[in-house]
Amino acid sequence: MTDNKGKRNGGLGRREFLATGAAVLGLGVTGFPAVLRAQPASVKVGLIHPVSGFIAFSGTQCREGAQMAIADINAAGGIKSLGGAKLEAMLGDSQGKPEVGASEVSKMVEGGVHGIVAGYSSAISLATSQEAAKSMTPHIVDVGVSDQIVDRGLKNTFRFAPGYGTIAKFAVDNLAGINQMSDDKAKTAMIIHEESLFGTGTANLLQKKLPEIGIEVLDVIKHANPTRDFTNIVLQIKSKKPDLIIPANYYNEYVLLARTMRQQQVKAKGIYSVLGGAASNYKFVNEFPEAAQGIMDCNHWFNPKSEVALQRKAAAEAKGLVYTYEVFLAYNAVLALADGFERAGSTEHDAVNAALAASTLDMSYMPYGPTRMINGQNVGARPVNTQVLDGKIEVIFPQQFASAKPVFPMNS
Amino acid sequence: MRTLIILAAVFAALGLVPFFVVSDVWLNIAIMVLYSALLGQAWNMLGGYGGQFSFGHAAFFGTGAYTVAVLQVQYGINPWIGLFAGGLAAVVVAAIIGYSTFRYGLKGSYFALVTLAFAEVLRILSNSVPITGAGVGLLIPLQVAPSNLQFADKGSYYWLVWAMALCAFAAACWIGNSRFGAQLMAVRDNEDAARALGVRAYSVKLRAIMLSGFFSGLGGVFYAQYFLYLDPHIAYGASVSIESLLVPIIGGIGTLFGPLLGAVVLHAISEVSRDLIGDVPGISLVLYGALLVVMVLFLPRGLAGLLIRRKAAPQNRKKQEAEHA
Repeated sequence: MTDNKGKRNGGLGRREFLATGAAVLGLGVTGFPAVLRAQPASVKVGLIHPVSGFIAFSGTQCREGAQMAIADINAAGGIKSLGGAKLEAMLGDSQGKPEVGASEVSKMVEGGVHGIVAGYSSAISLATSQEAAKSMTPHIVDVGVSDQIVDRGLKNTFRFAPGYGTIAKFAVDNLAGINQMSDDKAKTAMIIHEESLFGTGTANLLQKKLPEIGIEVLDVIKHANPTRDFTNIVLQIKSKKPDLIIPANYYNEYVLLARTMRQQQVKAKGIYSVLGGAASNYKFVNEFPEAAQGIMDCNHWFNPKSEVALQRKAAAEAKGLVYTYEVFLAYNAVLALADGFERAGSTEHDAVNAALAASTLDMSYMPYGPTRMINGQNVGARPVNTQVLDGKIEVIFPQQFASAKPVFPMNS
Repeated sequence: MRTLIILAAVFAALGLVPFFVVSDVWLNIAIMVLYSALLGQAWNMLGGYGGQFSFGHAAFFGTGAYTVAVLQVQYGINPWIGLFAGGLAAVVVAAIIGYSTFRYGLKGSYFALVTLAFAEVLRILSNSVPITGAGVGLLIPLQVAPSNLQFADKGSYYWLVWAMALCAFAAACWIGNSRFGAQLMAVRDNEDAARALGVRAYSVKLRAIMLSGFFSGLGGVFYAQYFLYLDPHIAYGASVSIESLLVPIIGGIGTLFGPLLGAVVLHAISEVSRDLIGDVPGISLVLYGALLVVMVLFLPRGLAGLLIRRKAAPQNRKKQEAEHA
């Protein structure tokens, strides 16, 4: 009688159930120690981007790229020197405001973050890296191009992509090269830039350097963010008839400027962007192929001859992403941080900072030279020149990465 | 006297916060609450007590911020001097705006629009002249030392903003209980009647805007020293002006504790909405906006109005009962 107590429909009795449960529990604790105990703690990576606000598109692209990198690293076995520890994303939204970005950093630091990747815009990156410096939390700037970011001597701040000093020099040198190769040389230029740190800084550098290669700057026009009507600016361009138009602005403004120039039938020998928000962007090229045709850009880009880079591009596109520079720069920043953990074999801030400062990460999927860190900046990082030709974004400089030859003047 | 004692007690309690709050995150929230309360109280002196609604308090905030930054970065002048210089420079800008608006009888929406225009002009100017770093902005070098008005711990920043807010609230308390305050409120309620009683409306409003500008300028100095980076959009952008007026409107316009209540509630809503649904981009802002709309609809006199109504309710009942009897 008692044996059958508690049994229902031939199921487990209460005693059997308790005995089996205890056995399973015992086996769990003693029988699978490798599974239960050796699972290393996850490595927390803070991702702070402006996923809301006026630069939300770019911020969201950054977040997507960074999360792709985390997924890929985890799928490949995590951080091996830490026993295969998995990366765990901590997400933060800076809302496009430096102070919100800084407060996200302090939240993450308190939440035990081991490293931070931030913050798309230069102004936000300045604030987030400075806040992270107070606890020496390793901080990698993914996109922000201002050279002030790495000039402050912060020992926790690193950038693996080029800054605008390098980009502006590269842009001017290559423009000189393109001009030399042409029979119909450009002699004058107008710079149209957005008013914040990135646009103004880039424009200032170009204004100094262009006369050195024999190009006179006729005018520099600054516009606010956002600007939704470029008619007056384009009419000014039309009246001054520059050979070259050099835009440096964010995506929306770039698209509107390019479309207005097309509508107003501005004739120039070339549109040569420096960090043009849309010129090296598949979304712009696909949606407005006529406005994009022939535009040259000096910008961040991947190595089109690298299988790894092309696979990553295909994977991003399979997810429905437009493969913009935000995606691959944020991806690279996470890779660099993970490499820092790997080399350090630790998540201790000082050890990871030291590993990042001495990083020699193989970045052959980018058109860079060997990685060499000086004051937190990868001096091997370089931009490329691209040109939109027949609906495709082709690399035209440097030669070893080129997929097409430059067409200049653009309508020739 | 009772108000002064309550104010002293509230600020004494607030001054103890760093002793009890060890979390940097919570301390940062407390700092931002006091910073918002400071900006809100500065606006309240002119808009709440004086009835002159400004949409351009960023003009004072940005001037204070840029003064301390420019003096440090371009001239190597110690930021402790810059702190007072920032407040005084904001007073000068306030005097110019006050003179050019009150002198010519601008009030209501005209005054609001002109203040907005001044802030915009200053934004464009700071975006163009080299001394402010133009569009590149100014980066104050990170040299953590109390002598540089930079602190290693958040507790010290807290006490800095606490001291600024205390001065602002003490000034507002003085306005509420002084002859000057009575004149200012008389101008707010009926300027013509106040004039008829001998109040020099122009002079009263001018003094109010200068006082308001001073504290807004101090808010700018604090921002510059806390975040160490300024650009024209941060300093003179519309968001500062909006924050300055939103805080007292939510908390209770023309009341002493309204800006503090408003700052607490706004930051609480912001933090809660971000923590609840922070990973969905922008949704927290939508929730934040919706809650603001609800509060403005159902609490037109702000949170302080709710407290005053509750306090007044039993008295009103007694009055009604007496009338019925």
